[in-house]
Amino acid sequence: MSSKEELLKRLSDGVFEMEEDDVAEAAQEYLDAGYPAFDGIMDGLVDGMNRASEMYEQEEYFVTDVLLCSDAMYVGLDILRPYLPETKDDHKVKAVIGVVEGDTHDIGKNLVKIMMETAGFEMIDLGRDVELQKFVDTAKEEHADIVCMSTLMTTTMGGMETVIHLLEEAGIRDQVKVMIGGGPISQKYADKIGADGYSQNAVEAVKLAKSLMKIA
Amino acid sequence: MGEIKDFNCTYDNSAGINGEVTEGLGLTFPDAYLHADTMAKLSRALKEHDGAAFCELPFCHTVEAEAMGGLVNYGNDKTGPRAKEYICTKPEELLELQPIDFSKGRIHEVLQACRMLREQGEHVVLQVSGPFTILNVLIDARYVFKAMRKQPEVMKEVFWKLGNEVLRFMEEAKKYGVDLISYADSSGGVNILGPKMAEQVVEDFTYEFLKQVEGLADEHTMILLCPKTTFALLGTGHGKLKDHLTETGIRYGEACIRMTGKAKFAGQMCIKNVGYELENGIFKELVLI
Repeated sequence: MSSKEELLKRLSDGVFEMEEDDVAEAAQEYLDAGYPAFDGIMDGLVDGMNRASEMYEQEEYFVTDVLLCSDAMYVGLDILRPYLPETKDDHKVKAVIGVVEGDTHDIGKNLVKIMMETAGFEMIDLGRDVELQKFVDTAKEEHADIVCMSTLMTTTMGGMETVIHLLEEAGIRDQVKVMIGGGPISQKYADKIGADGYSQNAVEAVKLAKSLMKIA
Repeated sequence: MGEIKDFNCTYDNSAGINGEVTEGLGLTFPDAYLHADTMAKLSRALKEHDGAAFCELPFCHTVEAEAMGGLVNYGNDKTGPRAKEYICTKPEELLELQPIDFSKGRIHEVLQACRMLREQGEHVVLQVSGPFTILNVLIDARYVFKAMRKQPEVMKEVFWKLGNEVLRFMEEAKKYGVDLISYADSSGGVNILGPKMAEQVVEDFTYEFLKQVEGLADEHTMILLCPKTTFALLGTGHGKLKDHLTETGIRYGEACIRMTGKAKFAGQMCIKNVGYELENGIFKELVLI
């Protein structure tokens, strides 16, 4: 039987090498051996995803690689998650994320979601072409801490400002941080519309979210 | 072999419809996106608004996919037609999609609009999408990327299925008088695929595909390439640039019109960058090698 360390390495390597079948097999063996699911997730799957993020930051991995790594990670999560002990007090920071109405380009949004999820945020993914009011309604219902929006088109970027106004109207603007990103977006634009932050890529988005929430 | 450089899309000018343009035209949306006469009217208004040398059609990148069974949200005056839910989850399903019938639906209306504009004396740029852009409407990109890694032969078949449909669309466009056929597939750029996968796409598909497209260029028709495609060909050693001196201060679109019949492929700038002036009046023809 493999040791815990060996199985954790297989989980991490499987994610890093985008081999979801290996991850599934290692995750099942890990559970069968009676090791705690939490460690398997954090020291195996998330470790592999963090290694992929580092490679992405160094431009050794590309968008497609990160997406495939995340597929492998999610396969492992589906197996290990049901065995996590129930916790009453969950301190995860919650973020709502989506591509604003009118735009369907969601690769960047998906990357940010993956990276933030890996970094420990609870992500509520609204998808692409998201009705603007839905960002607000979901943030309210879910008591979200952050609203993340992206777009690749100049014609739809105005929707981000509308969401900020809708958050104000709903009386929850001071309860959430607003992060934006995407092709035509800049820090200047974020300042102009009153967003709390802008990030150029998925790795920066994690740093920004942590800084806005004052997490180390 | 060199390295595939990236060209940064700026989505200038008429990416989507500018509200100033639609005001006063008496058009209702999304109805205006669906009929040849309103498409032509809108295209001409956009040309005038942008001060372009040509009219562009269609207003989105969903026409080909819709004609193959994809689901489209037609949008409104501010945001044009775009993809709805995906209809496929496996690459094999893509191989089963219906061939395009150019005699009906929105794709037929686009072709009719092209003819109307040509009859009105306009130069027409028909924007034709490449496989990745078409796939964006049909299937989640993550299934595509995964299949490219795990089932490269199936994906090659998919690229060629879509490529052959695109080729038929271009042939059809010529019958309707289109003089400038623009081919772009920015969703499959090196910034997304990474250098290795981008190279694989050129080797498996783009180069051979464009060799077939080359046959469509003649004295009345030029093929305009998105600079991302130009860079992909240059970076893989499948293309070279040949300089033609035109005129100092000439804009890219005007140069393309002038060079039609003299060059087969243009590709030094994004055709949406209507204000771009050629450096020292030099038009760079892309030659396949």
